[in-house]
Formats: sequence, structure tokens, C-alpha cells
Amino acid sequence: MSSNPALERDPRRADAVAGTVSRILRLVKSGPELRAVESGEIDAVMDPETGSAVLLPEAQTALREDKARARSLLALCADWFWEQDEFYRFVSHTGAASGGSGIYDESIIGKTHRDPPFDAMSEADWETHRRLLEWRANFRDLELRCTDRAGQARWVSISGEPIFDEQDQFKGYRGTARDITLRKQSEALGQKPTRLARDTLDALGVEVCVLDSAGTVVMANRPSLAFAAGARGIGAKVPEGDNYLEACDKARGNERADGAAIAAGIRQVIARESPLFHHEYVCNSPSGRCWINLTVTPFPGDGASRVVVSRENITERKRMEISGSGAGRKDEEPPPGSGSKVAKGAPIANKLLAALPRKEYQKLVGGFEEVTLTYGEILYEPGDPIRHVYFPNDALVSLLTTVEGHQALEVGLAGREGMVGISAALGVEVASVRALVQATGTALKMNAVRFRKEFRKSLPLQSELHRFINAKLAQARQTAACNRFHVVEARLARWLLMTRDRLRSDQFLLTQDFLADMLGVRRVGVSLAAGALQKRKLIGYSRGKIRILDRKGLEAASCSCYKFVKALL
Amino acid sequence: MNAKNEKGKDPGATVETVVVMRLYIADNAPNSARAVANLEVICKEYLGSKFRLEVIDVLEYPQRALADGIVVTPSLTKVSPSPVARIVGNLSDKSSVLHALGIKESLQ
Repeated sequence: MSSNPALERDPRRADAVAGTVSRILRLVKSGPELRAVESGEIDAVMDPETGSAVLLPEAQTALREDKARARSLLALCADWFWEQDEFYRFVSHTGAASGGSGIYDESIIGKTHRDPPFDAMSEADWETHRRLLEWRANFRDLELRCTDRAGQARWVSISGEPIFDEQDQFKGYRGTARDITLRKQSEALGQKPTRLARDTLDALGVEVCVLDSAGTVVMANRPSLAFAAGARGIGAKVPEGDNYLEACDKARGNERADGAAIAAGIRQVIARESPLFHHEYVCNSPSGRCWINLTVTPFPGDGASRVVVSRENITERKRMEISGSGAGRKDEEPPPGSGSKVAKGAPIANKLLAALPRKEYQKLVGGFEEVTLTYGEILYEPGDPIRHVYFPNDALVSLLTTVEGHQALEVGLAGREGMVGISAALGVEVASVRALVQATGTALKMNAVRFRKEFRKSLPLQSELHRFINAKLAQARQTAACNRFHVVEARLARWLLMTRDRLRSDQFLLTQDFLADMLGVRRVGVSLAAGALQKRKLIGYSRGKIRILDRKGLEAASCSCYKFVKALL
Repeated sequence: MNAKNEKGKDPGATVETVVVMRLYIADNAPNSARAVANLEVICKEYLGSKFRLEVIDVLEYPQRALADGIVVTPSLTKVSPSPVARIVGNLSDKSSVLHALGIKESLQ
């Protein structure tokens, strides 16, 4: 027993050891016990006098080391050690870690894991935990939020096991607790990249959405408002949960073909028949034509056949391309959805152009491009640069002036008898009125730069346009007077006749709202006027469809301005 | 013990003999820990599941040890079948443990 050199080196310990040994030898008298003591196989000897066990020095040392080891291991895996009574109230606590954040301190004695500083568990969480406790089950890694003495939010992870006494009576729980605040914080930080990615998507000037195999939008970014305002047309702003393919199928009018093409392309990428689908199309927006570049790609690293659709507004680029490829450049590519070059021998529908000597017209024709102007399309807004001029064939374009606080008012009408963008001839490059297509039809379009060049060179074109401008001025003067003095009914008749002349058709589509804008009156005024003309069987009007039944009668009903303006042109 | 072994092979034939033991130890002190480990090995090898063992920590329950006439720990007491037998020490001498438990090693 005195084999431990450490004990021999410490005289006081040695004395104590000697005392213990003599005490043990006094207690152990009989043969086998004594032999076992001498051979070092014994840890403790019972002392009937004190009613306790006397540990042998080596066992004492070993147990002390054991405890120290357990403590240090505990400190490694836990910050605190706690014990609760049968009502889950804290009866003791030990901070294994130095410092700590003051969760398990004196103040928790008598409290439970449901009381402060622990934040209240939700009813459901508590119910689950309480059931475990009632089953006297061990629990591991229960995460609780709490508030430390400094008022800082912290997280602890607790594990516990039930304690039973000798009679197997439940005495409470004991367990460990770890401060996991740092981990929780880093977890929260870990979620940030997801948010960052989302914010980045939203900040893009591109509309991006992810579709599942059925075409339903599972994720869509929210591009900045500035972009969204210009984003129109097929597939614009389809919200999450809606079906993108259906939205494409719903496209009507001249968007129908694009809608069908896009839907088919998306289906191909979903079926993985194609690794990429690309479509460029034009749509109309309040600020004019808008070019959209749509790309469909498979969703990366994904077994499910999801796809990513991105729509980019490339209007600026397109406009620059078009204006950049100025006059005389043969490589100008017509924008998609628009027309083709005009053959030199083709018949001339536009009266202005038809009035030019054939030779002069031939000089211009290389710069023309036949395009379809669609009802509702806006060619310019006031303040827009005039990039093109248009000579309508059978399209009809209204020129509208907007006065702040009021609805738009028509101040001019351009059809086959004239042109749109006349200011370009006068050296003004910015539109002063809104040019709104009022009847779908074709027009010859020319780059404004080239038009100015041609205008400067060609005397016949100059004289023809001067005549036209003069007529337009007269028309504007007359219209101003007409709008002021003539009754709505007469003005409506005039307007319908002017439209008829330009469209060369007795029937056209017009809503009352539109007519109200044209005439600068309220809708009800249009209703009354149209009703009166209808009553006199001069026109038929139903659901936006207008039919001129009696042209002569309508001319009689119109104000003198009609004849005056007609004579000018 | 041959007969007992046969019973073990056919447990439904007669009532099994279960060895009831008490091991007195001092917490996790070296000899106590060794005694627990040694006894576990012997029980597994020779008794299978036919034993009941109660382990008593004399540091926690000294009165029980005193009542049972225990002088030193570790101590192993065979309570039944009779006769009662006792062996002290860390139980590293397997043959003396078997002898105390009334198991004949040679026949196993």
C-alpha cells in the first residue's frame, strides 16, 4: 500500500496513510481478508464503530482522480450540471465552465425549465416534453431560449435523466446544459445566404421564375418597380402558384403566336427534349414598344423536370441597335414581329408618298420597312425621341395631347393621307404628342435620321410635306375651334367620317372611352351623342362596334369642319 | 453441476437453479471496478442468464454492508443456493470464484 511513490514523498500524506493502514489492520483480523488487504485487492474496510466505510489510500487517490476526470469530461460536453426534484424544480446547479453566461445560477433554485430566465416553451413543445418527463424517459438536446443576466438572448441545449431512490421512487431529474448560442447564431447566419440570393434576384433587372413540371410558378423574383413598369406582355409578372403555360396560352391578338411559341418551348425544356429555349418578342407598353428576350433553361442539379424562365427587357438595346444602324445601312435587322423591306414596284397606298414623283419615291423606298401597327400600340409619348416616321397604308394613328389633370384629347389623325412623326421633317427630334394606333394596319416605317437626310435632299418630298404640314396646321386650327364651339354630336359625326375616309371602311371598333378621349368629353357625352346618331339611323352602335349606315346623313349631321378639313387634304 | 447444465439445455423440464449473489464495492475504486468486470465475465461464461446479482456500493450504503457482516470490499457473497459462500478481493482468481459459487470448472 505504500508502493505509491507520490505518497511517500509527502510526509503529511504519508502520516495519514500510515494512520489509515493501522486502523485497517485493526479492523481486519481474519485470514482471507487480511491476505486480500496485503495483496492490494481491497478498496475499503467497514468500520462498525463509525458505521462507515474506510477507503484505502490508493482507492482514495483513484476515486479522487476519477472524479476529477469525470468533472473535466463533463466540462467538455456541458457548461452546467443541474438537478431537479420530482416537480422538475431545480434543487442544485453546478457551473462546469468558468464564467458562463449566468443561466444556471442561484436564482433558478426552485424554478423549472418553463420559468424565466427560460423563455416560455410553446404549448405544443411543452406538452411533448412533459410527456417524456412523465414517462421518466431520458431526453437529449432539448433546445431552449433564455435571457441571461445582461438581458441578452441565449440558447441552451439540455439533456437529462430521471433519478430514482433505493425503493425505485422517482426523485427528479438531473442533467447537463450547454450554451449553444454561438451555434444558433451561426445557424441564423447560415440562413442569410438564402436571403441574400433572393434579394439579389429581386435586384436584377430580369424577371426570373422557376416552374415545376406542370408549368406552375414555384418561385418568382420581384424585380425592381422601375423594371416592372416596362415589363409587359406574355408571361409578365405571373405570380407564384399560377400556371405560366396557361398564362402563355391566354395571350390574345398579335401576342397569340408568341404565347404559343413560348409555351411550346417551355414544354420542350421541361421534357428535357431541348437544353435551351430562346425567344425574342415585342409587346406594347404605355411607353411604347417593348422588346423582351425570354430564355428557358433546365433547373440545375435537379432530378425533377423544373425549369428557369427569365425575361429580360432589351428595349433599350434594341432601340440603340436600330437607331445606331442609321440611314443607308443595309444590315439593319427588322425587329421581330415587324415587317419586311418594301419592293420598289409595290403599289403605293399612302397618298403622301403616292403624290411624289416616281423617281423620288424610288429613292426613299430602300429606307422603308413595312410594319404592322396594332390597335392600342403607342408609337410615341410626348417627350419620346422620334426614332422613326410612319407612312400609314391602312393603319390609323391618333395624335393626342394630354393636359395635366385632364384626359387626353385628339388633336390630329394620321392615316393613308399623311404621316406620323412630321416633327422630324421640321428638325424636331422629340415627340410633342402621343401617337396612338387606333386601327390595326400596315405602315411604311423609316428611320428618322434617314428620313431627315432624304427630306433635305428631295425638293418634291419637301413641297409635298410642306403642303401636308400646312393642311395639318389648318386642321389643328379648325379642330381647336370645332372642339370649342361645335356640339358633341356633330363632332362625333365628323370624327367618324374622318376615320371612315382613312380606313375606307364603314365599320370599325371603338369603345366609348376611346371616343371620349378623342373628343375630349366625358363618356356619358359620347353615349348621348352616339345614341342620338343611332336614333336617326345614321350609325349602328353596339359593344364598341360602329357601323356607318348612312354616310350622306352623317355628313349632314357633322359640322362644317369635316368638309373644310377634307378639302385641305 | 452436470445436472444443472442439462437443465439449462431443457429449461422446461424442471425448475431452474438461479444463483443469487451480492457484490459489495466501493464506488468505482480500482479493485471494485475490476471485481465487477471479472464477475461479469464469469457469469456470462458459466451462468448465462441464470443468476441474479445485486451490486452494493458501501460508500453509499455502509449500513447494508455492516448488516451483512462485510468487512472488506470488494466482497462477493453467494446468497443461494445454499450453502452461503463468500470471497473477497478483486475476483481475478477465476477458480476460487467458481469454487465459491459452487461451479465446477472442469465440467463446463
